[in-house]
Amino acid sequence: MKIISLNKGCFAFILGLLLWCSHMHANYLRHDITISYWQSAVSGTVSDAARSLPGVTVFVKGKSISTITDEKGQYSINAALGDTLVFSFIGYKEVEYVVDSSTLDVLLAEDAAQLQEVVINAGYYSVKEKESTGSIARITNEEIRDQPVANVLGTMQGRMAGVDITQDNGMPGGGFQIRIRGTNSLRADGNEPLYLIDGVPFSSESIGAPNTSGVFITMTNPLNSINPADIASIEVLKDADATAIYGSRGANGVVLITTKKGKAGKTTFSTEASTAFAKVGRFAELLNTREYIAMREQAVASDGLTEIPEWATDINGIWDRNRYTDWQKELIGGTARITDLRASMSGGSAGTQFLLSGNYRTETTVMPGDFQYDKGAVHFTANHRSQDEKFTISFSGNYVFQKNNQAATDLSGVALTLAPNAPALYDDQGNLNWENGTFENPLAALNSNFLARTNSLTANTVLSYQLFNGLQLKSSFGYNEILNEERRTTPSTVFNPAYGLDSSVSGLNISQTALRSWIIEPQVNYNLRIGKGTLTALVGTSFQSQRTKRLFESGNGFSSNSLINDLASAASISVLRSDETIYKYQAAFARLNYNFDSRYIVNITGRRDGSSRFGPGRQFANFGAVGAAWLLSNESWLKDNTILSFGKLRGSYGITGNDQIGDYQFLDTYTSTGVAYQGTNGLEPSRLYNPAFGWETNRKLELGLETGFFKDRIFITASFYTNRSSDQLVGIHLPGTTGFTTLNANLGATVENRGVEFTLRTENLKYDGLSWTTTFNISANRNKLLSFPGLVASPYANTYVIGESVNIRKLYHYTGVDPQSGIYTFEDVNGDGTLSSLGDRSRIVDFAPKYFGGLLNQFTWKRLQLDVFLQFVKQERFEFNAGARGTWVNQLRGNQTGWQQPGDVSSQQVLTLGYNGAAMEAYDRYTSSDAAVVDASYLKLKNVSLSYDLPLNDAKPLKCLIFVQGQNLLTFTKYKGSDPEFKFAGQLPPLRVISSGVRLTF
Amino acid sequence: MKNQIYILLFLICCYGCEDFVEVELPDSQLTGTTVFNDPNTANAALAHIYTRLRDTGFLTGSSLGSTTAMGLYADELKYFGGAGTSNLELYNNALLPSSSVASQLWNESYYLIYCSNAVIEGVEQSQALETDDRNRFSGEAHFLRALVHFYLLNAYGDIPYVTTTNYEQNRLVSRMPATEVYTRIIADLDTAIALLPIEDLTGERVRPNRGAAYAMMARVLLYLGQWSEAADAASAVINDSQYFWETDLDLVFLRQSSSTIWQAKPLQEGDNTYEARAFIFLEGPPPTMSLTQGLIDSFEAGDLRKLHWVGSVTDGIDTWYYPYKYKQNTNTGTSVEYSVLLRLAEQYLIRAEARARQGELIGAVADLNKVRARAGLGATEATTAEDIVSAVLEERRHELFTEYGHRFFDLKRTGGLDAALSEVKPGWDTHDRLWPVPETEILANPNLLPQNIGY
Repeated sequence: MKIISLNKGCFAFILGLLLWCSHMHANYLRHDITISYWQSAVSGTVSDAARSLPGVTVFVKGKSISTITDEKGQYSINAALGDTLVFSFIGYKEVEYVVDSSTLDVLLAEDAAQLQEVVINAGYYSVKEKESTGSIARITNEEIRDQPVANVLGTMQGRMAGVDITQDNGMPGGGFQIRIRGTNSLRADGNEPLYLIDGVPFSSESIGAPNTSGVFITMTNPLNSINPADIASIEVLKDADATAIYGSRGANGVVLITTKKGKAGKTTFSTEASTAFAKVGRFAELLNTREYIAMREQAVASDGLTEIPEWATDINGIWDRNRYTDWQKELIGGTARITDLRASMSGGSAGTQFLLSGNYRTETTVMPGDFQYDKGAVHFTANHRSQDEKFTISFSGNYVFQKNNQAATDLSGVALTLAPNAPALYDDQGNLNWENGTFENPLAALNSNFLARTNSLTANTVLSYQLFNGLQLKSSFGYNEILNEERRTTPSTVFNPAYGLDSSVSGLNISQTALRSWIIEPQVNYNLRIGKGTLTALVGTSFQSQRTKRLFESGNGFSSNSLINDLASAASISVLRSDETIYKYQAAFARLNYNFDSRYIVNITGRRDGSSRFGPGRQFANFGAVGAAWLLSNESWLKDNTILSFGKLRGSYGITGNDQIGDYQFLDTYTSTGVAYQGTNGLEPSRLYNPAFGWETNRKLELGLETGFFKDRIFITASFYTNRSSDQLVGIHLPGTTGFTTLNANLGATVENRGVEFTLRTENLKYDGLSWTTTFNISANRNKLLSFPGLVASPYANTYVIGESVNIRKLYHYTGVDPQSGIYTFEDVNGDGTLSSLGDRSRIVDFAPKYFGGLLNQFTWKRLQLDVFLQFVKQERFEFNAGARGTWVNQLRGNQTGWQQPGDVSSQQVLTLGYNGAAMEAYDRYTSSDAAVVDASYLKLKNVSLSYDLPLNDAKPLKCLIFVQGQNLLTFTKYKGSDPEFKFAGQLPPLRVISSGVRLTF
Repeated sequence: MKNQIYILLFLICCYGCEDFVEVELPDSQLTGTTVFNDPNTANAALAHIYTRLRDTGFLTGSSLGSTTAMGLYADELKYFGGAGTSNLELYNNALLPSSSVASQLWNESYYLIYCSNAVIEGVEQSQALETDDRNRFSGEAHFLRALVHFYLLNAYGDIPYVTTTNYEQNRLVSRMPATEVYTRIIADLDTAIALLPIEDLTGERVRPNRGAAYAMMARVLLYLGQWSEAADAASAVINDSQYFWETDLDLVFLRQSSSTIWQAKPLQEGDNTYEARAFIFLEGPPPTMSLTQGLIDSFEAGDLRKLHWVGSVTDGIDTWYYPYKYKQNTNTGTSVEYSVLLRLAEQYLIRAEARARQGELIGAVADLNKVRARAGLGATEATTAEDIVSAVLEERRHELFTEYGHRFFDLKRTGGLDAALSEVKPGWDTHDRLWPVPETEILANPNLLPQNIGY
């Protein structure tokens, strides 16, 4: 499918077309300029119920005369008696008045219900929601500011149909995982959407080094560098119609983040301060000391031991057998404090507006110790329009700095497994207690420190010039810079003092990553009215270059642990990595949209993309889509229908791509390791060499129905989609005998995601200052591996099954505890008499969520506003299993007694200290069996936000709003671990946050 | 017209050349062919293998390697550390096909084999290397390939012998009978002997030379029961004038030891061995492991090795022992000890056993007594071939304890595992003589079936 190509012939054609159109338009314009008889100035003030409105567009219907209101909401326009003046302003109902005198004051009404009038950002263009042919989900600042969360993805969780977001963990600065309409790529890290902040691509690739990754298991996610408070709206592009213009990077959806802009009118100041307290909302129910000791003793007996082994110090008398500590409370039961301060100033004239804002947030942790996450942000934006309204320039800049000082270890895992009778953390002198070397004190891990500083700058300038009516030249220049510095210390004090180690073994790891990218996107927009329709065309190109510079160093051996942060003090320093990688990307894109009488709309988009991530001859590919919409409600036979106020049927089909494979992967190279032997730094083979891989393609088909009833007081949308990803670009899992575990290649496999999304918005009540609206969304996605040529002979033969989801696991089928041997038993599917993972793991369990969604109720009563948000996910996960019952780990309550003698009927097998090989093996199988899969569905009272606008003197501009917000307040689930929402088991669960604050505007 | 020119200019600006997306290699990478056209970078490719050999895999002295793993798995080391560790699994002889220690060592070994094969192929295709460099690099790579396969074979039983970097072949390989693996190990060692220089070019024996290849060959032949060949290979090392018998026990593991055949250089000057870091402790009970009482009690009275190579800690009631062959567990400014990978004492013991098994009893006793004398012990009382073999095995236990799994492999090759371990290891089972082939590997390549018995 070749929609547009960069070759010269095609360009010549487009150029010709444009010139021809401009000629036509000139004629059209000349015809249109009619001179009014009896022309005079009409003036007045535009306001809403509360205040005057600056920036309202006023124009004479049928003529090219327009103006906007000034900062006092006043306007003056040349119009004749009998002319119709149209007043329009985003968020308000458009009104028309016939001129019958020289003054005309207008009152605009807010247009909350008429959602489809909202203009949404589709990236290279914007479109009225009602005329959109694509599938785009959206949230605005109103919902974002209700939530005391620091990460932009956190604000979206549950609020957008088709967008599945899971919080990795509750650590300050921790990440989130996002999947837009399911898992498209078999490559685990090939499912990230494209992020754009004000049009500038924002790399979501992890930064930092594994050696310094600290508490997060995964490396640092740069999305924390986006400040939620500065966001005006977030749009998520989902279908082909919306994403194909992003070509090779649109396969997993596109997240467009638009920052706040200044508003014309009086300069306003706004400040906000809030304080919050955060705690772990849900703990697992674990054994107490009595139950634990009983379990361990039963294990000793079952193992047939006559005495307790010397190494089992928890029960052999070396540790106090009566001591009890609730380790969850002790290690992760603290209260984190969050303080958030914001200030902003905005204003401007009709021609020029600005906004300057600053934000500072600081967060401590629930773990013991003095750790803190600080984040500051500065946001500046300015817009200018020339007097003749032909030239506009806008600038936006965002600067975010973060300092995250954390323990290098998440104690949550230890808190779940540590024996309840483990010794005290501190001795009488207040030093760490090692119980004479028998206790690996978990707090020692806190001596190892993780510190990350990240500074990020995103700046974008857009210039546009209206060459003549209908034709606009536009170019955007974007720059993005992320500077990340991380360090992790490993002082000798993390080790048991019994080893007698001193600071000569202390270590320091430092990583510095600098990611700089620029993008230039010149484009031409053209509008032409043809008969009853409007043709909109857009042609543009894009050039992007991203340089990533990394310096990873480590130092070992310090004369004192107090010098551990100084690399120069290390006895030995090695540079583990020092290089710069380049990613270059270029594209040409186009859009052609024809809107006939606001009834029939066709939207064609295309893009030709080139990426440096592929080898010669494979760098370029074409992508494109066709979308169409039919606005039923604008048909004459429905126009005056009193029930159906809006109806739109839309559909789209197209191809997008994915190039998330990493840089230089097609080259056969050796990389310097920075690890020396005899003073020579090693050179390691970088990868298994395969130059022949190219784009992953994703074909998306979508059908949607959007309907509004009773003046849109009930608004329902439903979307059905089928996405198929083929030419899977994956790191193919290879057996270790190849020397590596993966190989980059295109697999012939095709993955399908098919799903339904449903949203409902109702205005339940609107009466005398009281209003109640409900927004609900639910999405279900079914993933299926359609084809995989050669699956049987491939290393994936035992991972995937044709016709099943790619999120499955093949598991043993558990058949209970054998009353004779006391061991867990499993179905021997192939009947060969032994259990083997190859032949007997036949149960298929799909771990993708079955459905998920959210329900938001917003109540307003006079000055009081209450928002209540519920989030739900239907899913299955593995239950929490720390280790075989009887071994030296604590267990969930209810798992502590096992089979003891032949004839016993028990749900738990025989306990063991670890000596019973058969039981250990059976336990291992148990954790890979269907018995270990539990319902981890949950319903969360995710957010409650209550605010009150204080009744001050309305004549004065001062406004004061006080608010209370809560996040993750309650979780309803059958899951027995700590929280059913996690990426890796045993990490700090998402925290319950309660926040209160004040917002002043004047 | 003016407008049309603007548009034209604008569109020309938009038009970029398609070579915008061509990028240069990053500074830290070299293409494969470049690496092997320069002796320095080819040497760096080998240096990488030595760093990995030293830091991970079977031959590291850290707790990831065979010294700790096989020590716990057999009866040398006793485990004290906490729950849920690979070490506990090893100590309890409770390895599972899913155990991370089994897959870690498997994958790391085949990675080292890949790197060795890449060197062999790179050197073969190189246009620019001098013959001396060519021989040395290829010889070392053949030696390393044989060495790593040897450890894989002894831990996992029948294994694939991989001699290419071609992943299409390597991903489908099957397990090969042990005898066939041995044939290839010997062939690779023969190649190494032919290619490697006789002298030590490093000045501190940190790269294998011909002596190292002979030493390894002697061990392989001993395991195979080819007594006279084993004795000959050991003689080739013993008679090599580069290596002297070190008579002072305290000097054996120092970096300048004259009886070292091959040792691993630490990362930085001043660093010492991983072994010292892993084993030494100052307070009891031990934080992770100690020597077993069984090993301590088995030392003959007056054995100086128990004094010089074993450390002890007491709390007044109990006493715990740790391997103290390496004494420096901190950075000493100038390195004092290197991890000794091959040393002369083993060669004497190989020759003693090989001679005894062939009936050359006088020579066997002489070799055995050489080792005993240094430990302050009198001449052996064994006189029959059988007794001398037993005496040699007992001697190996005390000379080579906690060195790369000698104890476990000796018990295994002589069929003594069950007798020695079932009494002292509650988790021991006959099938534990072989480690399981990692489950992930079998799932990725079913040609690796059948799994070892008992897993």
